[in-house]
Formats: sequence, C-alpha cells, structure tokens
Amino acid sequence: MFYRLSGVRHFSYTGDRSLYRIPFERNAALALLAAAILAPWIIGELTLTSLVQPWLIWTSAALGLNLVVGWAGQLHLGYAAVMGVGAYAGTHAARSGVPWEIAIVLAGFASMVIGSVFSIAALRVKGLYLALTTLAMQFVIDWSIVHLSVVSGGALASLRAPDMSLLGFEINGTAGLYYVALAWCVLVTIFMMNLRRSALGRALMAVREKDYAAEIIGVRSFVFKLVAFAASSFIAGVSGAVLIATYYHIVTPDQFSTQVSIQVLAMVIVGGLGSIIGTYLGTALILIMPGLVAALFHGATELFDLRIGVETLAHLPNAAYGALIMGCLLWEPLGLGRLYHNMRSYLIAWPFGYLKK
Amino acid sequence: MKIKLLSLCAVAACSLGTIAQSQETVKFGLCYDLSRSYSFATPSFVQAAEDLATLVNDKGGIEGHKVEFLVQDTANEPQRGIECYESYKREGVLIFDTMSTPVSQAVLPRAMRDGNVMMQPLVGRGDAIVGDVFDWIFPVGPTYWGQAANAMDYIKQQSGGSLEDTKVAFVFMDHPFGYEPQPVLEEITKRENADIRFFPFPLPGVDQSSVWSQVRRYGPDWVLFWGISNMHVVAAREMRRNGIPMEKYIGVNWVSKTDIENMGGLGKGLKRSSVVDSDLENPLRQEIVDKVYGAGKGAGDVAGTENSYYMVGLALYSIAFEAIRIAAEQTDGPLTAEAIKAGYESIRDFDNAGLTAAVTVTPEDHGGGGKTRIESWDGETWVQETDWFSAYDDIVWSIARDAASKYED
Repeated sequence: MFYRLSGVRHFSYTGDRSLYRIPFERNAALALLAAAILAPWIIGELTLTSLVQPWLIWTSAALGLNLVVGWAGQLHLGYAAVMGVGAYAGTHAARSGVPWEIAIVLAGFASMVIGSVFSIAALRVKGLYLALTTLAMQFVIDWSIVHLSVVSGGALASLRAPDMSLLGFEINGTAGLYYVALAWCVLVTIFMMNLRRSALGRALMAVREKDYAAEIIGVRSFVFKLVAFAASSFIAGVSGAVLIATYYHIVTPDQFSTQVSIQVLAMVIVGGLGSIIGTYLGTALILIMPGLVAALFHGATELFDLRIGVETLAHLPNAAYGALIMGCLLWEPLGLGRLYHNMRSYLIAWPFGYLKK
Repeated sequence: MKIKLLSLCAVAACSLGTIAQSQETVKFGLCYDLSRSYSFATPSFVQAAEDLATLVNDKGGIEGHKVEFLVQDTANEPQRGIECYESYKREGVLIFDTMSTPVSQAVLPRAMRDGNVMMQPLVGRGDAIVGDVFDWIFPVGPTYWGQAANAMDYIKQQSGGSLEDTKVAFVFMDHPFGYEPQPVLEEITKRENADIRFFPFPLPGVDQSSVWSQVRRYGPDWVLFWGISNMHVVAAREMRRNGIPMEKYIGVNWVSKTDIENMGGLGKGLKRSSVVDSDLENPLRQEIVDKVYGAGKGAGDVAGTENSYYMVGLALYSIAFEAIRIAAEQTDGPLTAEAIKAGYESIRDFDNAGLTAAVTVTPEDHGGGGKTRIESWDGETWVQETDWFSAYDDIVWSIARDAASKYED
C-alpha cells in the first residue's frame, strides 16, 4: 500500500540508480530528517542530551565500523582505539588554538593515517587472525595513550576540550551541540547510502564475498581493503572528536578501551552487517536499552513495593538485557535491520502475499 | 470569639506548615557502578549511606532537613553516568557522587558548568583537591598521591629517619590507577636520595610471577603495593614463594578483610594505609547497629556493617552530612548548591567520633588534609601502627597544582 511501485517508472539510468526507488521511502526519510531537525522542540531536553545525542554520535561511529566489517568483510576489534586517536588528535589541536572545524578534520586524518598503518600489517592475514591483529592494535594504542604523557597529559590525567565554535558561532547550548552531532550523522549516513550504488561499494562487496575471486575479475583487493580501513578510520576519528567536543567535553584514556570496541562491534552485528537502518537500531539496543531496562526494573520495584537489595537490582537488568540481545538474534539472525527489510518486502507485495520475493 | 480562636489556630497551622515545608528534603544522587569494576565496594557504600540516612531521619533530619539517597547503576559506563547525572539534576539533586573514575571524569565537566556539588572521594582526578580550580568538587579524604607520600614517610620513620640505603619496590597494576603515585614517588626519591624501583604487573593481575621474581632479585626493604581486590591475594602468594616477609608489605587502602581471608594464613603481618577507623567498636557504627538494625530498618544484612568499605562509606557520608548541617545553620530558606558548597568549605577539625582523621576543608583545600594511618593485620584484627598523619604535603600540592593548571587552560 505505502510501498507502492505502480506508476513509478524510470526513463534514464540515473533515475534507475536513484537513492530511493520507492517514493514512500524517500518521503519517510525526509519526514524522519524533519523530525530530527525539530527534535529540540518536540522532545524533552533530558532525552535529547542524554539519549538522542549520544545515540547519533555512536551511530555515526558504528556506521564507519559497518563499512569495514559489513561492506568489506574485514573483522575489526580495535575500532575504539581508532576513535581514541581521533579524539586525542582533535582535542590537542583545538587546545593549541586550531579552530574546531579544522581540528575535527585533522582528527579524521590522524585516525586515517594510524588506522591504515595498522591495516597494512593486518591485511596479510584474514578472518579470525585479522580479528586478533586488530585487537592487538587496540592494546598498542591503549598502551601508548596511557604511557605517553605527551598524548594523555599523564597517567590518569584528562584533557578538557575547549568550548566548540564552528564558522565563528559559539556552540554551547543543548540544541547547538545536538545539531553538530546530527549533521555528522546525516553526512555519514548519506555517504554510506551512496556507497551501495557506487563503484567503490561494489568493489568492497566483491572483496567481501571472495577476495581472490575479486582479484581475478580485476578488483585489486589489497587496495580496496586499504581504502575500506582508511575510510572507516576517518569516520571513526571524526566521530571520536565529535563525541568529545559535543558530549564528553573531556578526553580520558579509558573512554576508548577494548570493551568499547566490543560494544561498537556488537552494535554492528545486532543491527545487521551492511545495513544502515540496522546500525541505527543496533546502536539504540546496545547503547540505550541497558539504561531503559534498568529504569524499567527500578520502576517495577517501586510500583509493587518490592524490597530488593541494590546489588541484585543492579544485576537483574543486566541478565534481562543479555536475554534480550540473544532473543533478538534468535528471532532474526541477520540483525535488526533485516526486520525492517522483511516488513518492507511484505508491504511491497501486500495484499498479494504470494508475489512476495 | 470562637471564630477568632479558630482562625488563629488556622494561621498557626499555616505558619507551622510553611516552616515544615521550607525544611525540604536534601537529595543525594549516587550514580554508582554497582555491577562492574567497582561492585566490590559500592554495595557497602550504598548500605552505609542508606543506614546513615535512616538514623539521621529518625532523629528529625539534619537541622530539620530529611535526607534521601537516589541510587542508580551506571555499569561503569560514562554515558550512563551522564544520563544519571542529567536526570537527577532535574529531580532537584544538589550533591552527587559517582564512585567510579571513568564516570566521575565524564560527569565532572558538567557539574563544574552547572554548579552542582560533586563528592569525589577516592576516585577520579587527584588534582580536584585544588579548590580554587575545582570549586564544585570535594574529594574529601587523601589522594593516592597523599597516600603514597604518607607510606614513604612511614618507611622513613621505620628506617631511622632517613631513606638513604633503603630499597623500596613499588609494585603496581599496569593501569592509570597504578601509575598515579609515580610522580610523587619520583620527587621523594630525588629529595631523600632514596632507592625506589617500579614493577608494573599486567592486568587482570592474576599472574604476577615474573614481576615478583624481579622484586626478589632487587631485594627490597619495603614493598609498596598498588592494586585492588584479588591482586593482593596473588601478591601475598608470590611473596611467600619468593621469600619476602609479609611485614614488608604496605598496601593501598583497598586491602579488605575479604582479601585477607582469601590469603589463607599468609596475611599476618601485612600493612595497609587506611583512610578510616576500621574498629568495629566505633560509636557511630554501634549506634546504627542498635537503632537502625535493632528496629529492623537496616538497608542490608547486619554482617555487611563489619566490612571496611562500609566504614569508608559511613565516613564519607558523615562528612557530607556535616557540610549540610553547617549549610543549614548558615542559611535560612531552602538549601542551594552554593550553600552546601559553603558548608563544605566551613568544615573545621571534624573527626566524627574518631571515624576519620580530623578534616578541615577550606576554599583552597578541598582534600581536607589528606591524612592516613598505617595499620597492620595481626591475624585477628587491624592494629594501628601510627596515628593520623600526612607528609610531603608540599610535593603532593605542587603536583596537584601542576595538574590542575592543565585543566584550566
């Protein structure tokens, strides 16, 4: 009904390759974008600053990881470290007087250089070996950040990020910081959506499916793996800098630990490899759901006046949350993004279910 | 006449009502890590906080102000800590605690910007004792720099007033927490011409064998140990294996009774630096056991009150309560964050019936003096080796001021 295809005709190759082939999807995306722009007036300040804004920033970061894991098929367990490089590079640049708009780009390039250097070593190995190599990279960068006081400012030190200003405007209000995060997230999303229909994206997918088969048909898999790592590292670096500039306001070594790498990977896997809407959903599940589940348990104990010890009350939501993730993956092993896809293909054929592909 | 009397009564009732209303509840926001890294201590802290609140509220509150603790688990994740802080801020909480270094570092810039009091004892950045930079942060209690300096002074006293020809091995976890005392120890080494060597062991600290054989070859007179929970147990085993007597061991304040029980019989003679009185006969603890647990209103099991983390919790919150008491005395009308800040900064020589060292907080010094004492385990209980003291304050403060100045620019 909504996803109506009748009357939609493409008379040129450009039209056929347009971003949205179904008008409803384009309109829905525009409506979502409008809602996101109006969000500071629609939703409460608390939800905006402590839920929506981190969700957007982490989604941008997770999309970058999806580029290398979902599109190019290279397992990456050191992604948070690459974000950390960007966060430190951006903060140091801004502290030494570089304007934020340049500092953020510098952060992206710093991450890109370091991420690519590590990937060259990583590209000689595949699969689980690659996973371990990238994990080692996480430890090397963590170690360097903690032990090089030039970077971290000393053990257990933290560097405060200067207040943000972009193009001469001071950005300090809730809405302003939110818009910076939103703008970056929209940019990354548009890039990722276009990846699907570009030569680069197709080359990455060829490498993912079988790298030597790709090589045989003329796709230089080494180069494209390197490009995938470089591009995803750039996104990671900028996301790290945006995270510090608009949300944490202070950078410390343990913000980008191994645990965070695993979390971002979980966002991508729960969301669905190679799925953009899935990355949004996966990030929401991993980042926001634990707090919501805990609040739910808290509310329930107050409602029924249960006297549960603080320790049990803290651990129960964790168990429930773990079960929730397992449930999601059992229900749809291909990730949350697949759920949207299923709904879409059902609605495209509706009410003629037998036409469903 | 009758009507007049009635209306008089009504007026009286109204005015009484307003008085009762103006003494509103003081809310504490505890954004604690109750399920991850810090869960070895936080449940005891919460138990202590809630018991203390019950005791004080039953007596009519702090100068008429009831106390309420709002507790939320952050799972040691910065963004959940920020969410907790932001939501409690909107519920009218004026005084926060995080009890986790990552969460404390994430919340600190916001508390500084919003002007809310943040307790930050024993975790987070040590330079927060510099009150003229961190005006809203109150890490009352010793910093790890202060603890290390005091332990070195104890070693100096034991070595006949000089650290020359005394070998000290600093064994620590390879983590920012372990590296924190390093600058202080280096300064002391320079000043006293001492011989200190650093031995980091890798996380999670269950295998320290390679480090301890290096320590044995070094042949230290004293061992300073910076680790948490089970790391102490592993260290005790390795010391026995390498023939280093337990009497030479001085642990950071996180050595608990549970760790000593886990050491089997090896813990006898071990020393730790202590930030609170761990004597179970402490009058405040006794009062809580009698009045709160006696009335069945305890926040947990009564055995939980014998834990040394419980005592730490009691100490920290009684200092905060003292700040609120002074604030309530100094101001009429509702308590604000400014009033509590001023209350904190007016604490003078407060030792809370021997629970902690006498604490004096000033607008410049938010650390309260940084006193610790050294205790040793005699196989049954903790024996005081020294009285409350602090040493090398100039070194600790120059390092703190140096670090704080980096925050400012």
